[in-house]
Amino acid sequence: MTEEASAVAQEGVSSVEKTHDIPSDWSPNILAFACHYCAFAAADLSGVMRLSYPTNVKIIRLPCTGKLDHIYILRAFEKGIDGVFAAG
Amino acid sequence: MSNSSSSSDKRVRGSVLIAGGGVGGMQSALDLAEAGFKVHMVQKDSSIGGTMVMLDKTFPTGDCAMCMISPKMVEVGRHLNIDIHTFAEVLSVEGKPGDFTVRVVQHPRYVDSAKCTGCGLCEQKCPKKVISGYEQGLIERKAIYSLFPQAVPSTRVIDKDNCIFFQKGKCRACEKLCEAGAIDFDQQEEEIELKVGAIILSPGLDRYDAKVRQELGFGRWPNVVTSIQFERILSASGPYRGEVKRPGDGKHPERIAWIQCVGSRDRHNANPWCSSVCCMYATKQAIIAREHDDHIAPTIFYMELRAFGKDFDKYVDRAKNDYGVKYQRAMVSAVREEPGTGNLILRYAKEDGTLVDETFDLVVLSIGFQPHSDVKDLAKTFDIELNEHRFPKTTQFRPIDTSRDGVFVSGIFQSPKDIPETVMQGSAVAGRTMALLSEARGSEIVTKELPPETDINGQEARIGVFVCHCGINISQTVDVEQVVESVKGEQGVVHAENVIYACAQDSQDKIKALVREKELNRVVVASCTPRTHEPLFQDTIRDAGLNKYLFELADIREQCSWCHMGQNEDATEKAIRIVKMTLAKSRLLEPVSTDSVSVIPAAMVIGGGVAGIIAALSLGDQGFDVHIVERETELGGLARNLFYTLDKSDVQEFLKAKIDEIQAHPRIILHTGTEVKSTNGFVGNFKTTLTDGTSFEHGAIIVATGGIEYEPTEYLYGENDRVITQRNLEKRLAVGHGVRSGEKFVMIQCVGSREEPDNYCSRICCQDAIKNAIAIKEKSSDAQVVIIYRDIRTYGLRETYYSKARDLGVIFVNYIPERKPQVEVSEDKLRIKAFDYMLSRDVEFEADWLVLSTGLRPHPTTEEVGKIYKLTCNPEGYLLEAHVKLRPVDFPSEGIFLCGLAHAPKNLDETISQAMAAAGRAGVILSQDKLAVSGIISKHNRDMCMSCLTCFRLCPYGSPYIDEEGKVSHNEVKCMGCGICASICPAKAFQVNNFKDEQILAMIDTLADGMNM
Repeated sequence: MTEEASAVAQEGVSSVEKTHDIPSDWSPNILAFACHYCAFAAADLSGVMRLSYPTNVKIIRLPCTGKLDHIYILRAFEKGIDGVFAAG
Repeated sequence: MSNSSSSSDKRVRGSVLIAGGGVGGMQSALDLAEAGFKVHMVQKDSSIGGTMVMLDKTFPTGDCAMCMISPKMVEVGRHLNIDIHTFAEVLSVEGKPGDFTVRVVQHPRYVDSAKCTGCGLCEQKCPKKVISGYEQGLIERKAIYSLFPQAVPSTRVIDKDNCIFFQKGKCRACEKLCEAGAIDFDQQEEEIELKVGAIILSPGLDRYDAKVRQELGFGRWPNVVTSIQFERILSASGPYRGEVKRPGDGKHPERIAWIQCVGSRDRHNANPWCSSVCCMYATKQAIIAREHDDHIAPTIFYMELRAFGKDFDKYVDRAKNDYGVKYQRAMVSAVREEPGTGNLILRYAKEDGTLVDETFDLVVLSIGFQPHSDVKDLAKTFDIELNEHRFPKTTQFRPIDTSRDGVFVSGIFQSPKDIPETVMQGSAVAGRTMALLSEARGSEIVTKELPPETDINGQEARIGVFVCHCGINISQTVDVEQVVESVKGEQGVVHAENVIYACAQDSQDKIKALVREKELNRVVVASCTPRTHEPLFQDTIRDAGLNKYLFELADIREQCSWCHMGQNEDATEKAIRIVKMTLAKSRLLEPVSTDSVSVIPAAMVIGGGVAGIIAALSLGDQGFDVHIVERETELGGLARNLFYTLDKSDVQEFLKAKIDEIQAHPRIILHTGTEVKSTNGFVGNFKTTLTDGTSFEHGAIIVATGGIEYEPTEYLYGENDRVITQRNLEKRLAVGHGVRSGEKFVMIQCVGSREEPDNYCSRICCQDAIKNAIAIKEKSSDAQVVIIYRDIRTYGLRETYYSKARDLGVIFVNYIPERKPQVEVSEDKLRIKAFDYMLSRDVEFEADWLVLSTGLRPHPTTEEVGKIYKLTCNPEGYLLEAHVKLRPVDFPSEGIFLCGLAHAPKNLDETISQAMAAAGRAGVILSQDKLAVSGIISKHNRDMCMSCLTCFRLCPYGSPYIDEEGKVSHNEVKCMGCGICASICPAKAFQVNNFKDEQILAMIDTLADGMNM
């Protein structure tokens, strides 16, 4: 689909937010849900190894990714969090 | 704390010494300590962990080794009844079973473990670099160091030989920096005396020194590495952080060769035994290397592919088909470096005999295991006998007993083996010890006395916040004072301060005092990871009378200061956000009451074969009532058809002695000719009814339903009475049939194994063939025995019998499944034609007897029993354990254990070990007066529940059930707190304690509130 065609297609659906330019200094706020036993441990190890990543990632620990509820993800997006990362 | 120790003149002590802190020793320690015995673990290294901590991933599941073992190390390190003495060695052992005196030397660490918080600052600032032994010489460490980042204990150790202060008299940088004042250059060697009832040896093994095989170029060509080096190269926490690079020039290798059996299966220049694990770890390394970098083309040079374990053959098939791993059957005679490129030229003979040179970028030598160089001293210290290969002397029927009573062995020290077998033996020696010391159980353990819990019901949140500097680990990046200021006005916060080390004793005392003084009812500490430190702080607030679930830890070290170094402003912002999120959760925390259930001290063993017999005897000797349920009228199972073992031990005599023991045992009740009809209940409280109408109560179940032998349809079996199975032959030889001079025997291996529909190795058949071949040759040396095989899989010390058979003149012919042997009958003679893959030509033999090596199958009842207890089977019908590596005899459902052929094909000594392991694991449960239910479980609200059964279908532990009213109820004893039910329940009738929806949502909202949008 060409850019034009895509713009036309999107205009037809009023609920879809128009894409807008991303300012160069913008950085997304990311929320990670991590399983206590594996992904959370991996996040710890990255610290132990002094591996660096951006500060705009925050982690919420879950007893298992099985605990990850749809409402958590929806609430995060509803509140304006830009990305959700689930690892486990 | 109170010590409930009994008087010292008692003959049987309730404590155990474990020499060795690898995965096997840790398993024994945890089992014993949980079952009421005091454990002293003595480890030579400065950390527990052993060999497994060095591994990247494990076969055949590809699980991360450190992720599995690290929680175990933390558990061992924290256990109230396990004292670990690292950097220590046993000097002498005196006494007798039940009452040994052990002298231990504690080498100086030069760091006071009582003061050290493990922050690691000293290590960062130490100016002296030393080649790292743990990283196999690939990179450097410091002169003050911990063996690896996850070491337990985390107390560093000063390497005196390399420390600048010790060598040159000045530096003391670590001492100046250590805010805890833990450095102590004056520490001296100390001797400790321990009194124990039994001793477990699990010191592990050494690896073969690859430099000995000079023709392979290790130590000479930089791009020839050992398999353990390659393990570190693959590891994400290793020297190259998981990037596959050559040590010589840092280039990414594409053509990688593995050379198998370096130092193994070579009785002239190295070790005669097979190290059991190298074929599989090479396969794993090839797969993982490909996963890291798909340009890699792996080739494995092997002699015989020994994929004899559960699901191993399938793993090799995956390596071949999905990862393009090439298996080249050849012995590499020399490795040369190509001048200028650093590449390596391997010379080997192809199947057709032509000699070729092939170039590779990197060569990995699959080095085997061998006893420690000081094993003779160790044997002397413990006064145990070694066998001719310098392994502890054990027998087929007593695989974990040494020559000295009360001293047991486990793991690769006993003989080469993989991780699950080591863990299995770890539990087996624990079970064996529990039986030996059963009368002293509980006599030396320490229990903690706690003040009553404060009732906080109806109180507003009164939160105390403690933000830790961790020396400067946190404070050099995060402005700790600013974090404290930022939370001071927050709702519910009545106290906030910063501390240098939150985990140090003085801070713990301060927290306790403030809880009382300011009537805090929630505590938040912002410091390091909850994975290691949450239990410590939970205990602290519990000591001050608060329910331990009123604590939350905010990780601002591992997940903030350490990964955002140099970004102080952003890191401080993030730390504030993390603490505020944690505060939001903590306001909503509620006390969690942990229930307990009583335990019926009896077990049921399903199956009366060798596995069931051994498990029952062990449990009976541990002091528990045991019900054996056997569907046939007599005990013994498959072993009734066995007569002798590879080492010529008499199986029938053993079986008879054990059956007599069972019949005479006051605690064992035998139910023969009947089967389980139904079992109700849960761990600690089962009630079983048998088909004969008997019913009884018990606290644990051992499933030992056994296996059957495959009845062949191939090679004229059943049509010609000269075509028999190995079992028929064994019986003939055992009951005194002679062997005629010149009598001709041809054996065919893998009949009904390693091909569809039963595409797995039956593990026992190679040894059976060799055992019978040796017996024939010993009866008549000029009888002819030909074994037509695919791979001879005489793993471990069994390899020596393979050599013996060859020495006796047994002829080995290699076939491939595409060209199977053909059998013809002419003039009363059997003629067997085969294509010898090694010789690359057809061969033909005349035979008086054709002996088929038939495989094993699970017993048909295994599936039925599995259904009763909701146990899953693999596609072949063998029961699936809870975890292939670390829980080899457990099921996901608590209180049910597994052993013998129901698990997978195995040899008699392995069945015996596994049965004792299952008994040890069951003993841990049966020895409890009450089983505490974990606090982090799912709570079910029956009023909200619609009984839609979604939870019932999805719970992996079977905790939701349909109650007598036909509605869903929840058995909290079975619940593991994973929260699957809570996240899928459409009515939200489930909530997991401490991870309730409102608590998580409060964290999300607090994160969103603080964003710059």
